[in-house]
Amino acid sequence: MFAVQSLIDVILLLILALAAAPFFGSYLGKVFMDRPILGDSVLTPIENAIYRLIGTSPRKSMRAMEYFLAVVLVNVALFVFLYVWLLYQNLLPLDATGAPGMSWTLAFHSAASFTTNTNFTHFTNETQMSLGSLVIAWPIALFVSPATGICVAAAMIRGFVRKDGTLGNFYVDLVRSMTRIFLPLSILIAIVLVFMGVPETFTNIVTAHPITGGTQEILLGPVASFQSISLLGSNGGGFYSANAASPLANPSAVSNLFLSFVMILIPLSTPFLFGQLIRKRAEAWPYMGTILIVFCIALALFIAYQAASNPALASITSLGAQTNGYPIGQETRFSLPEASLFQVTSVYSNVGANNMMIGALSPVAQLVLLFGMFTQSTPGGVGCGFGTLLLFAVLGIFVGGLMVGRTPEYLGKKITTRHVRWSALALLTHPTSILIPFVVAVAGGFVTTATGSIPSSAHVFTSVLYEFTSESANNGSALSDGYFNDATPFFNLAGAVVMLVGRFIPFFAMLMVGGLFSEQETQPASAGTLRTASLTFTLYITLFLIIMSVLLFLPVIALGPLAQII
Amino acid sequence: MSGTGREPARPPPTPPRAHSMREHVRATVGFMVITIVVCGLVYPLVTTGIAQLVDPDAANGSLLYYPNGTVAGSSLVAQNTNAPYLFWERPSLTDYNFTGGAPTPPGPTQPGLGELLNETIAYMKEYGNFTVNATLPFWWVAPSASSIDPDLVPEAVLVQIPRVSNATNLPIPKLLDLVNAHIVNPPIPDVGVPYVDVLQLDLALLPMIGK
Repeated sequence: MFAVQSLIDVILLLILALAAAPFFGSYLGKVFMDRPILGDSVLTPIENAIYRLIGTSPRKSMRAMEYFLAVVLVNVALFVFLYVWLLYQNLLPLDATGAPGMSWTLAFHSAASFTTNTNFTHFTNETQMSLGSLVIAWPIALFVSPATGICVAAAMIRGFVRKDGTLGNFYVDLVRSMTRIFLPLSILIAIVLVFMGVPETFTNIVTAHPITGGTQEILLGPVASFQSISLLGSNGGGFYSANAASPLANPSAVSNLFLSFVMILIPLSTPFLFGQLIRKRAEAWPYMGTILIVFCIALALFIAYQAASNPALASITSLGAQTNGYPIGQETRFSLPEASLFQVTSVYSNVGANNMMIGALSPVAQLVLLFGMFTQSTPGGVGCGFGTLLLFAVLGIFVGGLMVGRTPEYLGKKITTRHVRWSALALLTHPTSILIPFVVAVAGGFVTTATGSIPSSAHVFTSVLYEFTSESANNGSALSDGYFNDATPFFNLAGAVVMLVGRFIPFFAMLMVGGLFSEQETQPASAGTLRTASLTFTLYITLFLIIMSVLLFLPVIALGPLAQII
Repeated sequence: MSGTGREPARPPPTPPRAHSMREHVRATVGFMVITIVVCGLVYPLVTTGIAQLVDPDAANGSLLYYPNGTVAGSSLVAQNTNAPYLFWERPSLTDYNFTGGAPTPPGPTQPGLGELLNETIAYMKEYGNFTVNATLPFWWVAPSASSIDPDLVPEAVLVQIPRVSNATNLPIPKLLDLVNAHIVNPPIPDVGVPYVDVLQLDLALLPMIGK
């Protein structure tokens, strides 16, 4: 069991995040509105210089297809840069650890993984990544991928208030999200992390001389600057393969709470970015309600099942009683609720970092994490999480409108079959890109251990399901380590395709829906208009989201995680 | 208000793009070049510069030194201290090596878990980590997530006192005082749990046994 008072700091932190969200959200909104905000006197001239340099201007506004084209171009450029860098990392700067160049399938998977904000790794950082890859190449993706996400969300939201068919200028949005959000916040967070004990140095290896003899090579680097943007931008890649479980990346309970806050800050603020952009702040609360209901239930379940003891260990003699939760694969310095807050926040915000070993968790806790990746939107990753939630809402309002016999409309814009077609495409992409490769992997005999044998158990089944779910949701957390070998050409290539599909098809759908709204005139509200800033709407959307997710995934849940629980 | 319909009822079917393809390529390449320089080089360098200025000890890995100035280790990294006269860390699946990555311990329903715990308990008993009631704290025998967790719950340090006393001939009350002085309590009440940083404890123990 655990002490109930240890819940207090976790609850206080959530309240703090909730209190910060409306303010930070309206700041985020202003970044994408071109309204005067803090820092204009310094940053506006820099931004204008960049626009001139790259040949664009805030006055050039793009329609949905062109916005998507720009998204694809920037991401292709990023992908190619990463792919080539990782293939030849042994020839590039800062190769202190002697990491060899990656095989082409591994480089392909890793480049897709970093580009799509997933950061699912099929390599061991300490032996397969050069310092240059860790310090120069990867962080570029850590910045560009969340920036892409929040720009797409902002563009989609603009569709609700525009009438000219345009959604904004992707390059301008991208530059502003870097200068106004990600760069300044990352530097600030990195410095706070250093004060909490996280290393930030260009010394790569320190040789220590343990008391009992021999040597220990301690790997260091600019960990704080990596960790800050990785968690702020819902990337989740770790400087160390132990990720945020490593005491060097997350040294104390205080840093653990701080990083939990960093992870949830932007995803929890995005509903208010929406409220700010559409100039109706009350409309943000139904989404906030949905996120909070699902998130809090998940966190409570997670803590309860990690507090329970493991019946399989009852027969072990001389083992002391369980205190502060189930300690296998956990770190000493966190209390159970604190460790759980980080882990649930990380997976539910599609960050994918871990401060514990997911494979060692109770099956119910694993299922709780899987559910967060099924919904992808409570709160979900930077930008894409809220975009997904809006697509759920569009579909939900359409279905609800048909049920009560009203014209489905939202914020004065009619929802037509064309909106529903794109929303359904995005929401069906997720199960499709999980289940098809999953079936191919299991039925095709691609699931092997490092020694080549084919394992078969509910545990391995869950690992493979978790792998593809994590990749499709662009999450990046992994359960598979050790249960089967995922560094094979099949899992590299299938995983890369799943990540790219799971990222860019929903983006396309979000922009198309935004574009369709942007082409419409706004209808004035009438007596027949559905009131969306209401408790009824909040509960309706919450239930719609939960039922949709459960229905889509119940069969596979039954085969893997449920089979383990029963 | 002329009302003659200045705006068309629908936007034209194929409106022109805001940028030509050439402009798109220029913007993309330009953006990537700026980003590579700013995010890949300027950002880590500036942050490292500030960090080295404001808190060099933490920025360089919270290293611990012997009196002669040699690096003993880091207060944030566990190392193998399995000698009879020292306090032991949590077990490591990588033998405290960074190059071993971070393996996942067996899951709760896997048979390997019981075997691993029984092995650890047998090893610890063999080396005399027995207490009066013959149980070992769960947190001590459980493999950690990072495989380099440097901290132990106080109970797990206390059960080692009889063995350390036996090996070093130091009286138990003296060791108890040492351990109690090294228990780190949460800086803010109930944020985190009390723990002992084992390497720091062992380094404080060394001069007491003349090493």
